Amino acid sequence: MTLARLPWFQILVLATFAAYPLIPGTNAVRGSAQFVPLFSFAILALGLNVVVGNAGLLHLGIAAFFGIGAYVVGILTVPTFPFHSSFLVAMVLATVISAAVGVATAAPTLRLRGDYLALVTLGFGQIFIYAVRNLTNVTGGTQGLTPILPAMLPGIEDPDTRALGLGPTWRGYPSFYYISLFALAGTLVFLRNLENSRLGRAWVAIREDELAASCMGLNPARLKLAAIAIGAGLAGMAGCLYATGLKGTAGPQAFDFGRSMITLCCLILGGLGNRSGVLLGVLLLIGFDSVLTPEIDTWLQEQRVNPEGKQYLKVAGWRLFVFGLALILIMRYRPEGLLPGRRQRHELHTEEPTPGA
Amino acid sequence: MAALEVQNLTMRFGGITAVNGVSFAVSPGQIYSVIGPNGAGKTTVFNAITGIYQPTAGHVLFEGQRVSRPFTWKVVASAVAIGLVVAVFFGLAAVNVDLLWKAAVRDNAGGAKDAFPTAKVIDDAGRYIGERRDNAITAALVGFALGTAGSLVVWQRDRRAPDVVCRGGIARTFQNIRLFQAMTVLENVLVGMTRSYRANLLGVAVSGPGHRREEDAARRKAAELLKFVGLAGKHNELAKNLPYGDQRRLEIARALATEPRLLLLDEPAAGMNPSETVNLMELIRKIRDRGVTVVLIEHHMNLVMGISDRVAVLDYGVKIAEGPPQEVSRDPKVIEAYLGKEEVS
Repeated sequence: MTLARLPWFQILVLATFAAYPLIPGTNAVRGSAQFVPLFSFAILALGLNVVVGNAGLLHLGIAAFFGIGAYVVGILTVPTFPFHSSFLVAMVLATVISAAVGVATAAPTLRLRGDYLALVTLGFGQIFIYAVRNLTNVTGGTQGLTPILPAMLPGIEDPDTRALGLGPTWRGYPSFYYISLFALAGTLVFLRNLENSRLGRAWVAIREDELAASCMGLNPARLKLAAIAIGAGLAGMAGCLYATGLKGTAGPQAFDFGRSMITLCCLILGGLGNRSGVLLGVLLLIGFDSVLTPEIDTWLQEQRVNPEGKQYLKVAGWRLFVFGLALILIMRYRPEGLLPGRRQRHELHTEEPTPGA
Repeated sequence: MAALEVQNLTMRFGGITAVNGVSFAVSPGQIYSVIGPNGAGKTTVFNAITGIYQPTAGHVLFEGQRVSRPFTWKVVASAVAIGLVVAVFFGLAAVNVDLLWKAAVRDNAGGAKDAFPTAKVIDDAGRYIGERRDNAITAALVGFALGTAGSLVVWQRDRRAPDVVCRGGIARTFQNIRLFQAMTVLENVLVGMTRSYRANLLGVAVSGPGHRREEDAARRKAAELLKFVGLAGKHNELAKNLPYGDQRRLEIARALATEPRLLLLDEPAAGMNPSETVNLMELIRKIRDRGVTVVLIEHHMNLVMGISDRVAVLDYGVKIAEGPPQEVSRDPKVIEAYLGKEEVS
């Protein structure tokens, strides 16, 4: 691989985040409470990108797999249940179970195309929320499962990492911050290899012309299942990191339709089908939502602009409006997203003269 | 034995009979042409051969057999496995999984240091389900039947899908070129080559040496094929930016990448100028010399008469003539189909 083909944007983003805890005077609370979820949302968005961007299946229920990952870790590690698993085992199981559920729910619906598949996935997302809310004994109902405080490895007590100057456990800052960041970097490498492999090419082929692809010996059903398995698996892993970082599964509302939509918005804003674009979309949208908005609101509070704390004078009250506006502007002026993949650029700009068309 | 044998093929779409009882046989190593006026049902025959349509009646035999997925114990085993998963799901829903979980798992939570109480959990779960035995068994049986039957039906429907036919050794091109437009020339051919890969997901994920070797070998082979059809030096151009004649050649290269023993070409010379057509004839002969049997649909009579070993003529979905090209071109029925009946004055 030549220098020019290296994903410079991704390297820059990862390096910046890797350097953040090392800079003296930076905010540890921001690192652990805002950036760690940001990393898991980035992995979630990259997982969704495999399904929507690579395989071309509109999936509106990815948050359910995020939730499955979170709840699998919860069930396996909270003291309410007798499992007491370690983090690594729980993470592997969260990934595998999410992928398996993804395959099981997608397999009967693969014959549906376009909007119909989207409706089924939307329904699945809703069913997941209601199931979590009602299976009180399994999921803790609306409260979720807490506390998630697993050991790192099975059968081994965690060593005291204070001697290394890292904080009391690996779950603290900056250890877990780096674990999450490492998972994100690993995901990016994994997806790059995948995209350059025969699987990546086969996905492009079925997205462009399913009939021609199947006449070239590709099995569309299997390829779509593979995409959903990988996407759901990554979403499950993201959910596992999210819940471990939070030290508890948030309630079911953290995995509802809104989460799926915001993740999809990140993809569309940043550039569907392009890993750098997805990363940019997550940084912009989730960054705006969970880092910038509270910051501005605190500042406004200090300036006494809004002494009564009225909702419409807070930026947080306008966040959905900003999301909507951003999407409309993108759709109007740059439908391929801010950092489009090279293929998507060609697919969305068909007005160029095509010979023989 | 014939390379391809179409027996009494009939395709009906609603009230329209597009192909009616067509039979023909192609010997190995032949170049066989199917001609006929527009709307005669030629492409429909191709679609039925390649599994895009399932014939209303009749069979397509390739090397003496119907191309389909074999019915093996694996099919039965996976259908049963799917049935069992559905059965467990239905059973759990019928006994109220929430309370089952409470009885078996939640109530057995020991201290943080305790090992998982496997025996006790199984015991409690068994007792809980035992109290709701009839419900559980009924639901599980219904689930098992639904799951097994459903997966077998889906398998049966996909038995002769286009990808199965292609992997069986029949490749095709399309009348209205269907390349992967946003992919490069080389990538288009590599898609056709997917069959020759072996590496698993893990090898791909870490881009291991086995995967890289395969990728290199595939690229070399793709380059060879592109040279064979005359597209050397255009590897990195986007398929949609190629001139029309080159797009047709690329489609042939992509089809050849699947290593077919039978190649179906649907109007390969459509839109080509005379010199391109001559080159195409040369290419088709070269493909035949590689040991690939070729069946083509064509309107260019020069091309058909020049290279075909045998010709079949379709009109309104019925075969009206078959034989060597010279014979067919003199057949009064064929002349009538193309030019109309002579008025007796």
